Amino acid sequence: MHMEFTEDMQEILDEFIQEAEEIIENLDQELIELENNPTDTELLNQIFRGMHTLKGGAGFLGLESIINLAHVIESIFDKLRNGEMQLDSNKMDIILEGIDIIKNSIETLKSSNEIPDMEDIADIMTKLNDLLEGKEVETATMQENVTEVPQSDAPEANDQVPAADNTDDKESEEYEIIFHEDVDPAIQNLIRRYPDKNITEILDELILLPPEERDMDLIMKLDELIAQNKDVDDLIKEKRKKETASAPEPAPAQEPTSKPAVAEQKPTPKKEAPKPAPKKKKEESETIRIDIDRVSTLMNLVGELVLDRNRIVKLTSRFQGNCDDIEAIEELNEAIAGMSRSVSDLQEVVMKLRMQPVKRIFSKFPRIVRDLAKKVGKKINLELEGEDTEIDRSILNQLEDPLIHLVRNSIDHGIEPPEERIAKDKPEAGTIVLSALQEGDRIIVSIEDDGRGIDAEKVKKKAIERGLITPEQAEQMSDKEAYELIFLPGFSTVDKVSDLSGRGVGMDVVANVIHSLRGAIEIDSEPGEGTKITMKLPLTVAIIRTLMVGVGDRIFAIPLFSVVEIIKYRPEDIKDVGTYKSLMLRDEVYLFFHLNELFDMEGGHENKFVIIINIGEKNIAVAVDDLYGEEEIVIKPLGEMLKDVEGIAGATITGDGKVVLILDIKSLINDKRNDLIGVI
Amino acid sequence: MKEMEVLGLSEIQPEDIKEEKRVIAFLLNEELIGINIKNIIKITKKLDITPVPKTAEHIMGVMNLRGNIVPVVNIKKMLDLPNADNVDEQEFILIIDTELGNIGLMIDKVVGAITIEDEEIQPAPINSIGIDSRYITGVIVTDEEIGNKNLLILLDIDKLFHKNEEETEARAS
Repeated sequence: MHMEFTEDMQEILDEFIQEAEEIIENLDQELIELENNPTDTELLNQIFRGMHTLKGGAGFLGLESIINLAHVIESIFDKLRNGEMQLDSNKMDIILEGIDIIKNSIETLKSSNEIPDMEDIADIMTKLNDLLEGKEVETATMQENVTEVPQSDAPEANDQVPAADNTDDKESEEYEIIFHEDVDPAIQNLIRRYPDKNITEILDELILLPPEERDMDLIMKLDELIAQNKDVDDLIKEKRKKETASAPEPAPAQEPTSKPAVAEQKPTPKKEAPKPAPKKKKEESETIRIDIDRVSTLMNLVGELVLDRNRIVKLTSRFQGNCDDIEAIEELNEAIAGMSRSVSDLQEVVMKLRMQPVKRIFSKFPRIVRDLAKKVGKKINLELEGEDTEIDRSILNQLEDPLIHLVRNSIDHGIEPPEERIAKDKPEAGTIVLSALQEGDRIIVSIEDDGRGIDAEKVKKKAIERGLITPEQAEQMSDKEAYELIFLPGFSTVDKVSDLSGRGVGMDVVANVIHSLRGAIEIDSEPGEGTKITMKLPLTVAIIRTLMVGVGDRIFAIPLFSVVEIIKYRPEDIKDVGTYKSLMLRDEVYLFFHLNELFDMEGGHENKFVIIINIGEKNIAVAVDDLYGEEEIVIKPLGEMLKDVEGIAGATITGDGKVVLILDIKSLINDKRNDLIGVI
Repeated sequence: MKEMEVLGLSEIQPEDIKEEKRVIAFLLNEELIGINIKNIIKITKKLDITPVPKTAEHIMGVMNLRGNIVPVVNIKKMLDLPNADNVDEQEFILIIDTELGNIGLMIDKVVGAITIEDEEIQPAPINSIGIDSRYITGVIVTDEEIGNKNLLILLDIDKLFHKNEEETEARAS
């Protein structure tokens, strides 16, 4: 169903989507926790509230299918938290299915203003309602006695109105409710109409009304009350038995009249409509949501500022030599030092704006692991560590798919089936640990399992079969080098495409993503004990520290994080080993290149320095002519036309306005990699 | 003009106003080339160009345009024109806006801005001017001589710098 929204509503819609996404993100994790801990009331309440908020927002926007789904799930959780129903794995599956549909609906709503039609969700609605009613049979008698309105039949909202009216009539005969004076008459009517319900429940009733009967002002007022933590009892001064049924206030008749009245009294602009998020009120006053574009603009401006600072510093050092007014120069230097500090601080603050806790993606994993484990009939515990570690938003976004792939791999190939584990004297349930931590200016994300580990010989054999290496190369390879083969393109096109891992993404894609983020990935494995895959990622994307090097008359920047060591160039250390040269340093042998060779450029006749560069699993030695020191630079893209240039990660503009290319040695080596296996 | 009629606009248009365009005209060797002014960001003197290794031959490198990195293209080489290697003599760079972002073109000499009328545009004579006709919108024969020439070749920037190269090639062939 396609939804149309006016401009005002669009704003509310955007807020709703944002909020819904947050709720659903938390939900996945909460549900898995719940499965291990099915009676955790706090958790049940939390999920109930989440669903409730979702329903409220959807109700406001008239998103029928979402309202209905959220409502029935909410009702289920209401029963669960009241102990009227017990959760089990099958029930959980149905609930998760329902939540998945809500999740998808929110996505399509976001991308194309589409939500499913009621017919599309009929199946799952039936399942959810059956689930809800399955227990209701047992409690039906009880419900009748207390004349409670069954909250079950969500889709048939209209049916509920008469039901509510009946109770109302019965109740109003017995009680006369006297309210505090400041209570809105419309609210008073409502409470009379739904006498046994608390405010939240009354709100639900309203939301479930057809759109034309739904009174938005009233909904907002109820929301305010909820936000103030008030309930029916707080509004009622006295509740006394009626002596006569003389002045019953027939609610059904009043409802329609109260609507226009309220609208006139307080024409609350819709724009300011608060979302039904009572629990969040306090937090919201301390945080604001900012469009990511604005943060990016800010980041760019700070980047420019950093460049300008570098430029001023350079200019000043030029003046120093030929200016007589030493005092002025000193003052200038002081001023620059002050500015530098501020700029650095500013840079850090802005950088932090873009940082988000890894929780944002980690929270999806309990669900993924649960589903996959169930599918392959394995038992797996997922442990999350360092969820509060923060990392640049754009890196985080790109990290999600590789992580999912790696976790899938662990479940599919790593963790053994329960019988096998028991036979091996391992705990029946496997464990996957997903962790994140900050180490200096890098973030380390790792996935560790206690599965069967990787058999290096098998990997080698497969690589030989695929023609990736020669048997001779395999012979010389260490286990660790063998694991690196997994990242080669063409390795992971498995013949038996498994349902889980074989989704067209190989480990080479994972490695490429990590690499494109200027990160590194490595595998450690102990056959029989498990596998650990570690990814090292930069904290931020835009600004990096580099080492400036010169070859001939050209200057390049090498990201400092990949520089291991700098040594003097001594021709006697270089040896020719077949196709490639190598460098001996303290008993270690490094593959050796001249930088100009790597780029097929002229120059390299005056090599003075050798830089040991880390290219992921290996260090290599690269000779350059000159060193120009360290510089903090802002990475700028080379533009669409040159985005795929090998060996260049981007460019920067230096203090004197020149463009300097940032080297990406690893991608440069990549095409030589196959030849290099076994050599390095 | 056809489109105008389809839209029913020809009636409202006074007859003496014709569709006009302004193009920036420049020289590549002896050829007079024009690019629609709406595609042009700036004409600048040649600045420092940083060569980028491992790129196509016609890519000269990148330059700093007000804090942004802009690739510079040897357009003569790209169009297979003669004298493509005498880049030292080229003093101006035309910055154009394309689907691939801003791109700098190395040109020999700027002639100036010329106003042309759509009606004047004629289909390009095939193979007579040494530039592949698929990159040409058309030619205009000018009354007066501009830079010793009276044939202005209009380059089609969108065809030259297209996001999906294969698609362009396929369509052309």
